Amino acid sequence: MSLMFSFLKKYRVAAILALLMMLIELTLELIQPYLISKIIDDGISKQYMPSVLLWGGILTAGTVIAFIAGIFSSFYASYASQGLGYDLRDALYRKVQSFSYSLFGQFATSSLITRLTNDVTILQDMLFMGLRFMLRMPLLVIGSSVMALIVNVKLGLLLVVGVPILLLFVMAIMKRAARLFERVQRRLDTVNNVMQENLTGMRLIRVFVRKQHERKRFEQHSSELMNDTVSALRLTETTMPFILFIMNASIIAVLWFGHRDILTGSASVGEVVAIINYSMRTMGALSAFSMIVASFSRARASAGRMDEVLTAEEAATHVMSPQDRSEQAHEVMAQADDKVTAQLNGVNARFDQAAASDVETAFKTSEQPAIAKMQGASATIQTSAIYGDTIKQDHMMADGTYGRSQHKKRDLVVLPGQAGYAAEVELEGVHFRYPDTERPILTDISFVARAGRMTAVMGATGSGKSSLMQLMLRLYNPNAGTLRIDGQDIASIPEHELRSHIGYVPQEIVLFTGTIRENIAWGNEHATLEEIQEAARIAQIHDTIVSLPAGYETRLGQRGVNLSGGQKQRLSIARALVRKPSLLLLDDSTSALDVRTEAKLLEELGQLSCTTVLITQKISSTIRADKVLLLQDGRLIAEGGHEQLLQASELYRRIYASQFGEEELQHVEGIH
Amino acid sequence: MWKAFIDPFRVARPSAPRANEAQSAKTGTQQDNRKRAKNWRGTLARIWIYLAERRLKLFLVLFMVLLTSGLTLLGPYLIGIAIDDFLARDSGMLWIWFLVALGAVYILNSITSWLQNVWMIEIAQETVYRMRSDLFAHLHRLPIPFFGKRQQGELMSRVTNDIENVSSTLNSSAIQIFSSVLTLIGTLVVMLWLSPLLTLLTFIVVPLMALGMRWITKRTGPLFRERQRNLGELNGYIEETLSGEKIIKAFGREQQVIDDFAQRNDRIRFSGFWAQTISGFIPKLMNGLNNLSFALIALVGGMLAIRGAITVGVIVIFVEYARQFTRPLNDLANQWNTLLSAIAGAERVFEIMDEDVEEADEQGATEVKQLSGAVEFKDVSFAYDTERSGDTLQHISFSAAPGEMIALIGPTGAGKTTLIQLISRFYDADQGQITVDGKDIRTLRRSSLRQHMAFVLQDSFLFEGTVLDNIRYGRLDATDEQVREAAKLANADTFIRQLPDGYEQVLSRDGGGISQGQRQLLTIARAMLADPAILVLDEATSSIDTVTEIRIQEGLQRLMKGRTSFVIAHRLNTIRSADQILVLREGQIVERGNHDELLEQGGFYSELFHSQLQISS
Repeated sequence: MSLMFSFLKKYRVAAILALLMMLIELTLELIQPYLISKIIDDGISKQYMPSVLLWGGILTAGTVIAFIAGIFSSFYASYASQGLGYDLRDALYRKVQSFSYSLFGQFATSSLITRLTNDVTILQDMLFMGLRFMLRMPLLVIGSSVMALIVNVKLGLLLVVGVPILLLFVMAIMKRAARLFERVQRRLDTVNNVMQENLTGMRLIRVFVRKQHERKRFEQHSSELMNDTVSALRLTETTMPFILFIMNASIIAVLWFGHRDILTGSASVGEVVAIINYSMRTMGALSAFSMIVASFSRARASAGRMDEVLTAEEAATHVMSPQDRSEQAHEVMAQADDKVTAQLNGVNARFDQAAASDVETAFKTSEQPAIAKMQGASATIQTSAIYGDTIKQDHMMADGTYGRSQHKKRDLVVLPGQAGYAAEVELEGVHFRYPDTERPILTDISFVARAGRMTAVMGATGSGKSSLMQLMLRLYNPNAGTLRIDGQDIASIPEHELRSHIGYVPQEIVLFTGTIRENIAWGNEHATLEEIQEAARIAQIHDTIVSLPAGYETRLGQRGVNLSGGQKQRLSIARALVRKPSLLLLDDSTSALDVRTEAKLLEELGQLSCTTVLITQKISSTIRADKVLLLQDGRLIAEGGHEQLLQASELYRRIYASQFGEEELQHVEGIH
Repeated sequence: MWKAFIDPFRVARPSAPRANEAQSAKTGTQQDNRKRAKNWRGTLARIWIYLAERRLKLFLVLFMVLLTSGLTLLGPYLIGIAIDDFLARDSGMLWIWFLVALGAVYILNSITSWLQNVWMIEIAQETVYRMRSDLFAHLHRLPIPFFGKRQQGELMSRVTNDIENVSSTLNSSAIQIFSSVLTLIGTLVVMLWLSPLLTLLTFIVVPLMALGMRWITKRTGPLFRERQRNLGELNGYIEETLSGEKIIKAFGREQQVIDDFAQRNDRIRFSGFWAQTISGFIPKLMNGLNNLSFALIALVGGMLAIRGAITVGVIVIFVEYARQFTRPLNDLANQWNTLLSAIAGAERVFEIMDEDVEEADEQGATEVKQLSGAVEFKDVSFAYDTERSGDTLQHISFSAAPGEMIALIGPTGAGKTTLIQLISRFYDADQGQITVDGKDIRTLRRSSLRQHMAFVLQDSFLFEGTVLDNIRYGRLDATDEQVREAAKLANADTFIRQLPDGYEQVLSRDGGGISQGQRQLLTIARAMLADPAILVLDEATSSIDTVTEIRIQEGLQRLMKGRTSFVIAHRLNTIRSADQILVLREGQIVERGNHDELLEQGGFYSELFHSQLQISS
């Protein structure tokens, strides 16, 4: 709840005004019975008309003022609560977006959605009601008691004595009822769960002829629900009659003692009437009390759930937090920039040298368009996306550390989105398990995905293929080992920069509400229509899009066109391609495509200059790959070209046989 | 005027539409829960049929409501008498007796109101229980195609939310409406009897209320609609972006979505503010006018009392009645709405109960004791009666000997699944005859026929429960030992024992903890345990990666051994060993034979086979 108050600070003026207005309204209401007693005692009893008119007039005027105050309290309460809702949603959403992916994964998406939608609304409404209505109830009870005491101390005490008893009683009931209702809710969930299971599994239940079994199960849960609901409600239903009973008892007491005092002259009829009126108001307020407590505890639970999100912290692992790291990376870059400036001449000189000796040259800067142009102009020089320290890399190159690929090491920096570059990806001794789990997902993975080539990853579900990609994207960080892109540890590259060079096609297709064009352009908001169409063409979806009634402006999603799984897959490939990535990651993204389309797509992808890492189940895809990685239970069990693996890997041979048949395998083996 | 009372609350109670959002967010449907019932009378009549089963108790409840309403009216009236006749004079024992009577009225009031509520809750819950059971039983009698036609989320919303809605309304609203009406009438009668003039004064505020509400409604209606729209949009955006968080991160789009979100958030702040502010006037208006009538009664009543036209007691009675009078009006307006939506909910539930059930077994249908598994189709034709004209079967004839493996291949919509559904009698053929062991399947009991069949479907459905229970679903009386045996045969034993809790591992429906392939192995074990004569594999391995498939194939081979099996598959390698391969196209068998025969024929099959090979060479 402290969460709500800290967010409310911004709106404290409105909130206080709303409360103040409510207080005015309440005060004016509370003096009503008192004024009535005046009318009775000063006016009617004394047969004095002006007194009646005076007090009656005040009463009426007070009513009007109270009404106006009420209107204003509504206005201010609404302002404060809407503002609170806005701020809460905004803060939550920002916080969630700032989560690292691994932290994000610790919340169920559905629960995050509930927190951002329902929980915010609950708190917002609770504030609105609270400012206008809920606080009114306790204040009314207190005010009535005080006023009753003012009117007549002795008679007033009779009313005041009853109130704490009632409060204690209501609290006790509420506490018990809350537990009972929790149980009811659990029972209801179970019943609905069985319903849902039966709906989804109906076919299975039919073919196994399990109707009776299911019915018995359902009716058992359903009757438990019934019994618990009845006993919970039976308890809460005692509240009202009990309140009635106690308050009525105090009314009788007031009448009894009032009668005696009137006879002795220490009380008046008007006073007795006023106190009875206060009792009745208290009764009304108390009956709403249980509702207030219930909605308050609901709001508190909501606030607690939101608090969890807002205070969620990135798990402290041995790796640095993303912020720290990007800060560090900026430092590195700043240093590098200095050096670059200092060495600019030197670099250019070396560039000439390099061109002359046909050795690819190293230079680095992201602020030298002239040099970038030179890259483009020089066909012999391939560029790649990289950040880091020129000196260090030069040094390493001299050591021969990077001499692994046939493309020699270049450490050129290109502008994001610039086409035609390929990155080399290298993994060294990578170990990984998901946060807070024991099971290792990846164990000691080392390989190099060569620049500009296609690397295929194959393996059973759960063998760690997708996790591998998530590491490359730095959605997660490895527990040990390093991932390098063009020789640069990706931990030192700001996430945003790293990802701007990667085109990623996830396994589960995620498209957003909007047009097809918007969905593709989502990958690169600066893409021109030509670039979008080009990406669509490569992804083998252009023709399909054009054939749609509204072409690229066709809306997808709820009220739009429903594309087939394969079409959606190609669309999400186009979205990745429009980024003109230097590294393309495809996570089993061709599974829904037919053989011919897939072949054409792979053909096109093969011609792209970027490095491609492709998770696949199909031999037809691995055949085209420069290198195939075979994963099993998180270990890299075989690595090599298609032909190589056919000879070296038993598992690969079996996969091959399962897709092309034994004879074909023997045939192929015969060739070798 | 009546409508004017009710209308504002329809928009003024934000809780109702919000509940809808929560539901629609949960179920993914955008339906408006507050849709009015189409057939009022019919729906009410059917609710009554349920309620009438507890006629006696219901009668008692109504009696209690009557008593409670009367006692509620009597209380203030007695206080008025006390003030006029007893308070200022000494009437000895009579005063004591009067107070005792008053106490009795109060106590009785507490008792009757408690009884009326508790009894009504019992009636309501028993009714809802019966409705749930009937609905559940009915769902199990509905033909399978029904479930394909309906959107799952929408159906789910009916069987959960709508029933809940009926339940909560019956709990409180029904009774409240009844007692509100009674109290209203009673109050009016007593007021008129005591002082027509003051009654008129009380009623002056009623048209004011109506006018005020109309003014408010006119403004809040569109505002609330806009707020709902904005809220819906915002919630949709939250759902979409959070579900796609991975891609947002991978594409580095965090800032853009935050900005987009802020825009939408701002829109809702604006429309929400005015909707809430203006609708917040309603209770203030009610309260204000209530106070006004209070003041007027005090003022005019005081003047009348001085002239001796009425007594102080009457003023006190009126003041209390005026408050009691507006409360039922409030309640009515509130409950009315809940009632309407509950009736609409009940109607949706009844709609399902009115769906045609699967035809009953024919007269004289027999049990199947033993089945060897010979299946024959004799010139079978079938068409769905609905719009899906594509999936039809025409003149299908073939026969499968016991233990044979029949593979069905062909493009989507060729009728493969339809053919299988005919064997299990989810549908009946329009023409021709299907026999099992030489007997027309129409002469066999459905349940008994299915008892001898087992299905392994593409979507491996698991229940929330332990691994043991999930496999045992194939044969409920199987011992743990038999379950384990089946799991071993299905190649599932190894991975099960590696689970943290082994066979006692609790599985969730969305398959948390185990992979797709492992789920599939469990369903194979389940089929294994059922030990059927006829086995149907409907694309059982198509959603599984090839590496896992290799493992599963072994299990499947063992499962198929000695059973007549029908296999639908996309990957040709899985069906090469079939005894017969039927190639279906547009509902007809266009090619048949085993692998080698079909290759020789050089038709669709061989073309398909070679196209799958093509890439390798």
